[in-house]
Amino acid sequence: MSFEPKIIAFCCNWCSYAAADLAGISRMQYPHNVRIIRVMCSGMVHPELVMDALGQGADGVMVLG
Amino acid sequence: MTLSEVTNIAGTAGNFQVTVKEAPRYVDVDKCIACGACTEKCPKKVDSEYNAGTGKRKAIYVKYAQAVPLKYQIDPEACIWLKKPGACGFCQTVCDAGAINFNDTEKIHEINVGAVVLAPGFESFDPKEAKVWGYGIQPNVITAMQLERYLSASGPTEGHLVRPSDHKAVNKVAFLQCVGSRDENLCGNGYCSSVCCMYAIKEAVIAKDHVPGLSATIFYMDMRTHGKEFERYLERAKSDSGVRFVRCRVNGVETEGNTDDLRIRYINEQGRQVEEFFDMVVLSVGLQTPKSVLALAETAGIQMTADKFAATSDFAPVQTSREGIFTCGAFAGPKDIPQSVVEGSAAAAAVADLLAPARHQLSTAATFPTEKDISNEEPRVGVFICHCGSNIASVVDVAKVEEYAATLPYVTYVERNLFSCSQDTQDMIVKRIQEQNLNRIVIAACTPRTHEPLFRETLKAAGLNEYLVEMANIRNHNSWVHSKDPVHATAKAKDLVRMAAAKVTYCTALKPISVPITQKGLVIGGGVAGMTAALNLAEQGFEVHLVERTDTLGGNALFLKHTWSGEHIPTQVKKLIEKVMANDKVIVHKESEISKVEGFVGNFETTIKGGDGSTQVIAHGIGIIATGAGIMSPHEYCYQTSKRVVTSVEFDRLHELKEKHVRSAKNFVFIQCVGSREGDAMYCSKVCCTHSVQSAIEVKEEDPSRNVYILYRDMRTYGQREKLYRQARQMGIIFINYELHGKPQVIDKGEMLEVMVHDHILHRPLKIEADIVILATAIQPRSDAKDLANLFKVPVDGDGFFLEAHAKLRPVDFSTDGMFVAGLAHYPKPIEESVAQALAAAARAATLLSKNEVSLDAIKASVDAEFCDGCALCLDVCPFHAITLVTKEVDGKVGRLINVNKAKCKGCGLCQGTCPKRGVYVGGFTMQQISSQIEAALAV
Amino acid sequence: MLDNKKVGSVMIVGGGVTGMQSALDLADSGYYVYLVEKSGAIGGAMAQLDKTFPTNDCSM
Repeated sequence: MSFEPKIIAFCCNWCSYAAADLAGISRMQYPHNVRIIRVMCSGMVHPELVMDALGQGADGVMVLG
Repeated sequence: MTLSEVTNIAGTAGNFQVTVKEAPRYVDVDKCIACGACTEKCPKKVDSEYNAGTGKRKAIYVKYAQAVPLKYQIDPEACIWLKKPGACGFCQTVCDAGAINFNDTEKIHEINVGAVVLAPGFESFDPKEAKVWGYGIQPNVITAMQLERYLSASGPTEGHLVRPSDHKAVNKVAFLQCVGSRDENLCGNGYCSSVCCMYAIKEAVIAKDHVPGLSATIFYMDMRTHGKEFERYLERAKSDSGVRFVRCRVNGVETEGNTDDLRIRYINEQGRQVEEFFDMVVLSVGLQTPKSVLALAETAGIQMTADKFAATSDFAPVQTSREGIFTCGAFAGPKDIPQSVVEGSAAAAAVADLLAPARHQLSTAATFPTEKDISNEEPRVGVFICHCGSNIASVVDVAKVEEYAATLPYVTYVERNLFSCSQDTQDMIVKRIQEQNLNRIVIAACTPRTHEPLFRETLKAAGLNEYLVEMANIRNHNSWVHSKDPVHATAKAKDLVRMAAAKVTYCTALKPISVPITQKGLVIGGGVAGMTAALNLAEQGFEVHLVERTDTLGGNALFLKHTWSGEHIPTQVKKLIEKVMANDKVIVHKESEISKVEGFVGNFETTIKGGDGSTQVIAHGIGIIATGAGIMSPHEYCYQTSKRVVTSVEFDRLHELKEKHVRSAKNFVFIQCVGSREGDAMYCSKVCCTHSVQSAIEVKEEDPSRNVYILYRDMRTYGQREKLYRQARQMGIIFINYELHGKPQVIDKGEMLEVMVHDHILHRPLKIEADIVILATAIQPRSDAKDLANLFKVPVDGDGFFLEAHAKLRPVDFSTDGMFVAGLAHYPKPIEESVAQALAAAARAATLLSKNEVSLDAIKASVDAEFCDGCALCLDVCPFHAITLVTKEVDGKVGRLINVNKAKCKGCGLCQGTCPKRGVYVGGFTMQQISSQIEAALAV
Repeated sequence: MLDNKKVGSVMIVGGGVTGMQSALDLADSGYYVYLVEKSGAIGGAMAQLDKTFPTNDCSM
């Protein structure tokens, strides 16, 4: 079986989360590996949370804002 | 009310009877869930209006992907069934929601209202008729609105710039300015459309971003970038983006042989005719009033100007000629987005002034059952999985997700709905919450950005705290983007539900915060803007304190004579002052300044210091800054040394007093942009072109034998002011363009002055003998603006003008709640725009003052006293200055910790992201909640 | 006297940015607002724009 990375994306409610919504409205297709966590601002994402995600097996973490 | 038009307005101000004709939509908006199945099946394609004809839409369609209401509609002109019943009907067959109604009919509504606001907008000039630009014949000649659609990711080419004729990549594009503006021959629109220069620059910059190496040229007559931050944008377009600007009006676009290339002939800066080829030509089309709107104006019975815009007074810029009917936006003259938004608010202020006695007469507040306390209950999570018609269910195996959700910890109830957002499902969810005793809810459906508010209401209706709901976005982030991969989409849906269920378990009831409002206003600055704002609030019934630094009201307007349209300023200002003084709700504090400010929205306490040193504390709910601006004192053009060199305002005074030098002068030279658009003052002072042209017309009218010159960089007589420029040229006033690198020189020869300037049309230096030189000096921000800004914790921009919350959409609000800005303090502007902005500030302020309390979203930072040790790292990162340091006493020991002002906090959580000790958290997004989502996401 | 006859509602004709701003401000300050739009959805011309200056923000 080929490698399927697990990616956590922290998305700001006002921009990148909205962009992900719009990607849906536009029916853009992208890989299914990303799990989006909505935050009120990308600045809310504590470094510990990034470490947390990596520590628990995430192969990549994106902070989008 | 969509698809509706006003057909009659009867009655008078305060009590109108309006007839509205609503065209049939053929789609039941209560049933339509905007799944799009109908459009997919519809066989009929027509040009899309939204894409300005660059793309296609179906006969059943939604105007655009983010449309509000997001409901489909059938175009009766295109629909096959409506033309021939029984012929098609595919949409009806595929609509799961049963929303299609071919028997829908036109409805007539009779509506009783107190006032009418007309904001019908504009249409783009259609360049087809004039034929010279090849538009409509040459596919590669497009309008700016079409380019806007080509550049847009939601447009027909998803943002790729290709030629319509052969889909070849565009390498060279030309923009032609003033198509349908400033041109009475080809289009009959003599006025300037005000916005095209800026949008052309923007489109050129963005097109260059899209296509690396793209060459973009803008052919223009005058670059009119007079708005806030526009001049810098222009300079950046030149220097950073490399957009080429050529000052020449192009008279036609031709084709070359059988290629689709376009040839443009123009005169270059050396005065030679050259020809150049382009892949694409963009016409910067002007704005005009559509015929349907002219008909509306007639229906409304209001007067229009010669340029076919609604006629208004400069001191009442949103009042039409019929009492009770107001105008705003491009209907009353071409204007850009911020000014339109300003006028939208200004019209609201004018309406509120008229209808103040009837406020709250018809508006209602919803009521909800008492909230249940769940803090001691075990979580009982209810999961509702939405099919969204077939949007989710056709990709995701919702039955499997349902089965899976039931196995998750604390989940006690799971149910699937065809449409979770429909009214009957809402009622059902309320019922389930009550009968199953649920205390946490997961909605697996679409995006919380649009639907969370709805489900919060549902929880409230069920007696649960509204913050105990979490949405799993299994549509926008899943079924729509993995539509070809149902297996993974189903797995991802399970993950998303698991994440939401994990998070919701840690949700706690959050108390909505409300703060009482002191229903009084404070306006700082007693000029036209300040007085207008104060007076409007007073007329709306609110007490207002008006603070003026000097001993006179009137501000800069006291130095001015006429507005551009010729209204006498001193008369109007006098009237305004009298009204302010006569209104017992306006408390005027002259010779007073602000010395201290405390508090926040709804609850400010401001100390004002009088001229005699006495102080007074004023409690107020909102503040409006209208402190005006100053006039720059020039250090060039012999201003300091020669009495014959004066500023515009000084000249007006001398002219009015018939001073002998002015009276006897034969040769007048006006020099524009003195202190504006150069060096540190990289902004346009906006009013000076119009002012100089007006003064020039006056002196020429007095004695046509006088020689009057205006030396300018770009004439910025924007909008309907263009009329003055045209008149001046017809009268024989001589306009000479100069560039910044070749500024005019003024030499004092004692009895007269010698002005040297390089003439770009004659291509040689010119010597003008002048009796008097008038300098159009810059408007400067007040030097103490920053101090006031610091007191109120509002920002000023790099130039020193007050900085609004959003350049386009919140043009009079500060990012600090409860504070507003108006007039020259914000940016140079003519009186009519100051008045509009002042009214807008009053309207925005009234949205707060009309309430007893302001309720705030409960997603706010809170301090955890156990962990916070007062290290204060969060104080600096908080963009809203909501955090302060306080002392605490635990077991007799004094320590420090932070305190969050909930009224100022916006819940962004920068503090939470910074805190090394978990001493501060944002409700609804705690570290624990986010951690639980991470854990759940990675659990399988 | 005359004031008693005033109706506490307003009709806004045009659902572009201008009309919407007017409608929101009036509704927020205690008036009942009818927003009348000719086409099938509000938004007006600004919704057609790709980006806005000077910040090149998306205009949606």
